Amino acid sequence: MLQKSKPYLLLLPATATIVLLFFGGLFDGLLKSLGYFPAIGKMELDLTAYTGLLGSSDFWESLALTTRVAALSSLIASILGGIIAISLFMLSESAKSGAPRFWQRLFQLPLTIPHLVGGYIIVLLFMQSGFLSKILATAGVIDDISDFPVLVNDPFGWGIIMAYAWKEAPFVSLMIYPVLTRIHSSWRDVSRVFGAKGWQFIREIVLPIIFPAWTIAAFIVFVFTFSAFEVPYLLGVTYPSMLPVYSYQLYTSGTLADRPEALAVNIILAALTILLGLAVYFFSKRWNVLKGWN
Amino acid sequence: MNDLRIINIKKQFKQTERRGDPAFSLQPIQLTIREGEFFSLLGPSGCGKTTLLKLVAGLLQADSGEIWVGDTNLTKVPSESRKFAMVFQQSLLFPHMSVEDNVAFGLKMQKVGKKQRLDKARAMLERVGLAGYGSRLPDELSGGQQQRVALARALVANPRVLLMDEPFSALDPILREEMRELLGRIQKEFRVTVLFVTHDREEAFYLSDRIGIMNEGELLQVGNARDLYERPASTTAATFLGLKNIIEGTVSDGRFSSIGGNFEFAVNDRFQAGQGFLVLRPEAVELMPNASLPPKGSLHVSGVIQQLRFKHGFYLCKVQVGDEQLECVFSSRQRENATAGQKVDLMVDLKDVWIVEK
Repeated sequence: MLQKSKPYLLLLPATATIVLLFFGGLFDGLLKSLGYFPAIGKMELDLTAYTGLLGSSDFWESLALTTRVAALSSLIASILGGIIAISLFMLSESAKSGAPRFWQRLFQLPLTIPHLVGGYIIVLLFMQSGFLSKILATAGVIDDISDFPVLVNDPFGWGIIMAYAWKEAPFVSLMIYPVLTRIHSSWRDVSRVFGAKGWQFIREIVLPIIFPAWTIAAFIVFVFTFSAFEVPYLLGVTYPSMLPVYSYQLYTSGTLADRPEALAVNIILAALTILLGLAVYFFSKRWNVLKGWN
Repeated sequence: MNDLRIINIKKQFKQTERRGDPAFSLQPIQLTIREGEFFSLLGPSGCGKTTLLKLVAGLLQADSGEIWVGDTNLTKVPSESRKFAMVFQQSLLFPHMSVEDNVAFGLKMQKVGKKQRLDKARAMLERVGLAGYGSRLPDELSGGQQQRVALARALVANPRVLLMDEPFSALDPILREEMRELLGRIQKEFRVTVLFVTHDREEAFYLSDRIGIMNEGELLQVGNARDLYERPASTTAATFLGLKNIIEGTVSDGRFSSIGGNFEFAVNDRFQAGQGFLVLRPEAVELMPNASLPPKGSLHVSGVIQQLRFKHGFYLCKVQVGDEQLECVFSSRQRENATAGQKVDLMVDLKDVWIVEK
């Protein structure tokens, strides 16, 4: 009996911590978002925070910005990641040297860099007084650094999109590459003999095979960028702000009365994230990546 | 005529650094395969037959030489434009495509309309005995069925030449036999030119109009199965064809004498004087009835039976003749009068004797 339950007992401290902090925090947030706030004498549960939020234009603008930034980041990261993975695959198919390994390691480099550092790199490179604008101004491409477009702390969110595209593209390629490596090296020969040129091989064989993994990777990037905080906080503007930042702004606004709304934003974010997670799970089951493989 | 002509094709591979293996080279090969012919390249693993096949397919670039089909020089034509088809050792079906999409792949690349190509694919699946399997995925088929699909995929595009690289080697013996019969029937039906690579003598003999024997990057001999078996051009070819009775000796003054002196007989003009090897087919060696005289025009030797083994309806017998060991085939009836350790008289009709120059 003890032998059987030993693994569970060993896992208990970690599990208990996760349950307490994660689910406890979530539950606490849910209660407070429903107005249960003993610190200010509110003990009843109601939906005031949610109705207030849904009636607020700030919330909807924030949601629109969050969706736009998450969608564009995941789209660009997916395209870049796909191109990187396919290029690496074609390179390793054609080259016999260690060059593909070098490029693979190079493309994987952003994976090791924290998001905050990645965001800071974007600031240093792309802000109007950043490296790129100074180089272009020195080279005479632009007259003054103020001519450089506002890409960081801009209302559209280009800085955030760039940071996530750069940071998540290797993640997408990392998700796709193992599927690509399962492509039999002789399939290229088969397709060639049957008349397929290089791009036809990619269109007919490579893309359909990687498509499920690719789509799932894009979903994951979307869900992640949708609820991430640090990069939008560093690279976004004060208004409109992305939902996690909006929640933070409400929470730290100085008035305790705003806190249920701040937590309601978090609960909505968590609910949307769970919904998207379920969608990813549903599709990943439906598009079994290895369907048809021996 | 759309014969496939391989003109002095040569390929030298670089030495592999890690293994330190000697660099493999395919010696210049000259070969014409007639339109509609079933031609097999037969040889041991690593002899260069797959390399030659890939050179013909355009999957490898030759160092020198030319490939022609009829009046068209295909040497510089990329693989995808040669209008060849290939069946590989493994079926190599695309796992994400249904069976009929796999079969129709070549037609799709030729820009044939969807309905037409799927109709053709279904018709071809029926020809290979897989009617109704079109909507399945490859992993829902057995190994033999997958290889049938690969064959259908190759044939449906009406190729100039069908290249086959040991297509049945991964199948079990019964399936292999079935596939052999299917391929033989379909090749005759379609009259497609086939260049078939195998290391299986039986397979090559069963299917081929002509066979080319390869060894260490060289094409040793080309001929039909019977010619090759009865008149091998070298001891290497004879050994690869399973002939074990190879006895060294000399031809001089119209007689062959083995080194040990146990095999001595008159030879006709077709065998030139000099050192050579006597090649005796096991089934040409006959057991002489007791106290009978060898007929005129035959080689006669005496020996002691070393071993008798039953093999598919006959007995394989090893007889020690002086320093040489002869392998011969006895029927069950002959076996009744033979036991291990017994002294026997053997004879071979001189018409069945073959001598290879050293």
